[in-house]
Parts: sequence; structure tokens; C-alpha cells
Amino acid sequence: MTVAQAGTASAWTQKPNIDQWIAWWTIPVFYNIFGLIFVVLTRVMPPPRPDITQTQIVQFFVDHSLTIRIGFALLMFFIGFASVANGLIAQQMKRMSISPVFAYAYIGALVVGGLPGCLIPAFAFVAAALRPDRDPQIMVMLYDWCLLSFVGSLGCFCTQNMVLALAIFLDRNDVLPKWLAYMSIWMIVTELLASPVFVFRSGPLAWNGSISFYLGTVVFVVWEFCMIRLLYTAIKKQSPSEQIQD
Amino acid sequence: MTTTSATSAPSATRHLPATKDLWVFVLGDFVIFGSYFVIFMVSRRQERDLFIESQRHLSLNIGVVNTLVLLASSWFVARAVQLTRDGEFDRARKLTVGGGLCGLVFIVIKAYEWSAKIAQGHTFPSNNFFMYYYMLTGVHLFHVAIGLVFLGVSYVELRNRRRIAPVETGATYWHMVDLLWVVIFALLYVMR
Repeated sequence: MTVAQAGTASAWTQKPNIDQWIAWWTIPVFYNIFGLIFVVLTRVMPPPRPDITQTQIVQFFVDHSLTIRIGFALLMFFIGFASVANGLIAQQMKRMSISPVFAYAYIGALVVGGLPGCLIPAFAFVAAALRPDRDPQIMVMLYDWCLLSFVGSLGCFCTQNMVLALAIFLDRNDVLPKWLAYMSIWMIVTELLASPVFVFRSGPLAWNGSISFYLGTVVFVVWEFCMIRLLYTAIKKQSPSEQIQD
Repeated sequence: MTTTSATSAPSATRHLPATKDLWVFVLGDFVIFGSYFVIFMVSRRQERDLFIESQRHLSLNIGVVNTLVLLASSWFVARAVQLTRDGEFDRARKLTVGGGLCGLVFIVIKAYEWSAKIAQGHTFPSNNFFMYYYMLTGVHLFHVAIGLVFLGVSYVELRNRRRIAPVETGATYWHMVDLLWVVIFALLYVMR
């Protein structure tokens, strides 16, 4: 009886690439929680308007004070999930016929982007939501600070996409298809077009603009779906006995 | 060897130039630029007078010269592909260099045009027309710069391994850059 149980347990853990499958499943879980936090709870996505009055901004924090704090408290626990996905991608990059320097750079670039893209906006909004009765001018600053950091930091991810594209182009093992490298060039272009949010307070290049935010988000979602699907294929094709470079 | 059969029975040996991966990029890029153009047209409709008034400050001559430079570069690159298929790699390499030089001239002209506009006080945040002007030409210029990398790869391939697919890939990308410029030129400089 106990022998049989031990047998099934070990059979489950000895499934080929089970370690990578666990990492793979964190990606859909992470993005669902991410969507819940940024869209439903903290109202950062889609971004509220940059061209509203001081009173409206204060009212925004009064209305959403509780959900902003709950949302970003959840983010503190779940933001680390992203690193599991990035570790998986970096590990697949190490299977390519290229130097692992690209995989290390990929992880490093995402660490750089995660700070202004998630944590700085979170603390700006949480600080505003904690005391909505403080000087309205300060509330406006925290509002700007959060959204400029959240959308305006997209350029930080250019290196990530450039490194990934270069790695895929140079790879001869065909771990990931070349068209993903080309899609990463779209990502770079849409990320470059997020920096005009530092200049415009309304229109397509403002932080809630059709080009800066919406088009960039659509391209990101398409890219992310393809990435998740292609990682699935890559793990499926990978032999468990394959040696991976250090 | 396949060239004769390709001309006699094109449907049987239909060949997609370049790689499928590149075509994913080209078609997707058209969708992204198409979105920019639609957004531009919506803004233009809302501020028609401002757009037409601002357009007068652009030099149509410089736009035409830039268009001709890019069309010429496309011709060089297209001829290079034909020569590569015929096995004349050395001549193809020279024409690829010609195409790349035209691309450099395009960038220099664009830089001159931008600096002239900035000197006249027409900057990125001046108004919505100039916002689109700098954005569309800037994104396009980024594509030209990537295109020069593609042509550089074509050049190296022609010198070393002499494979046809990378040369076709570079050429397809370059024609895309050319086609996008023709639309941008029409929207920003010509349309009244």
C-alpha cells in the first residue's frame, strides 16, 4: 500500500521536465493576478486621465483608497512570480547556440524595468491612498508620479526585447522561432513611443493615449500570448537528458 | 536550375521570397503603422485647418528628394536580389552597398530637415500636426536604421556564404520601409 503510494508520487515528480512545467504554469497564474491587481483593484490600467482637475484627482483617491491598498498589498506578494517566468525564459535562452550572456542580460533588464514599471507606481498610489485628506497639490504629484512611472518606464524593457531578438536571430538550435524575434522589434518600437508621455498631457501620446498606451498594450498582449505558447512547445520538444551550458 | 522551371510553371514551384518569419513581421508592421495612420486621420479630421496650415511649413521638395532617394535604394536592392539569384554575387554586393548608401543619405536629409524645423520653432510639442510629423518620421527613421543592419547582413552573406534567403530577407524588409515612407510622405506632405 505504502509502496504503491510512494511509487505514484515518484512517478509524478519524475515526469519529464516537471520542474519547467511548474515554472510555465506560474505565467498564466501570474498574469491573471496581475490583471486583477492593475485593472480591477488599483485602476492603473487603463490609466486614468492626465488632464483632470485637482479636485477630480483627490476624488479618485477617495473613491479607490481601499482597493488601491488591497491591490498593491497583493502585488507585494505576487510580483516575485514574474521572476519565475523570466527564469524559465532565460533557461530556454541558455539552450540556444549563443553565449549565456544574453540570458543574464535578459534577467537583468527585467529587474531594471520592474522597479519603475511596478514598484514605484505602487508606492506612489499607496502613499496617496493612505492619507487622501492631505494637501491636494501633493496628491496631484503622487498621481503624476505613479502614472508617469508606470507608462513612461516602458522604454526600460527595450534592452530585454533587444537581447531576446538578438539571441533568437543568432541561435542555430531553433529553440524559439525567428518570428518571435521580429515581434520583439515591434515591442521595441511601441516601448520607444511611451516616452512622449513625459511631454504630452492629452492626445494619442499622453499616458492614456491610443498610441502610447493602448497600441503598446495590444502589441504586448499578442507578444505575451505567443511567448507563453512558444515556451510550451519549447519545453515539450526538450529532451529531459539535454545538457545545458553553465 | 529552378529558374527555368519557375518561369515556365510558376504555380508549381511558387516560391515565397525571404522567410515566413519576416513576413509575419512585415504584415504585422503594416497593421501597427495602419493604426498610426487611422489615428492620424481621425486627429486631422478634428483639426483640419491647423493641419493644413502647419503642413505649409514642411518643404515638399525635401520630401520629394527623400522619396526619390528611397525609391532608388529599393531599385538597387531589388537588382541585387536578381543578381544574387543569377549567381553574380560581386555585383549584387556592390548594389547592396548602393542601397545602403541611399539609406544613409535619407537619414542625413531627415536630420537636416528636422534641425531646420526645430530652428524655425516647429518642435515636437508645438501642435498636433508636428507631434505626428516627428512621431511618424521618427518611427520610420528607426525602421530605416534597422534596415541598414539588414542590408549589412545581406552584404556579409554575399561575401561569405552566398545564400539567397538572407539577401531576399534584407530586400523584403527594405521594400517595406520604402512603402511605409511613401504613405507617410503622402499623408504628411502631400494630402491637402
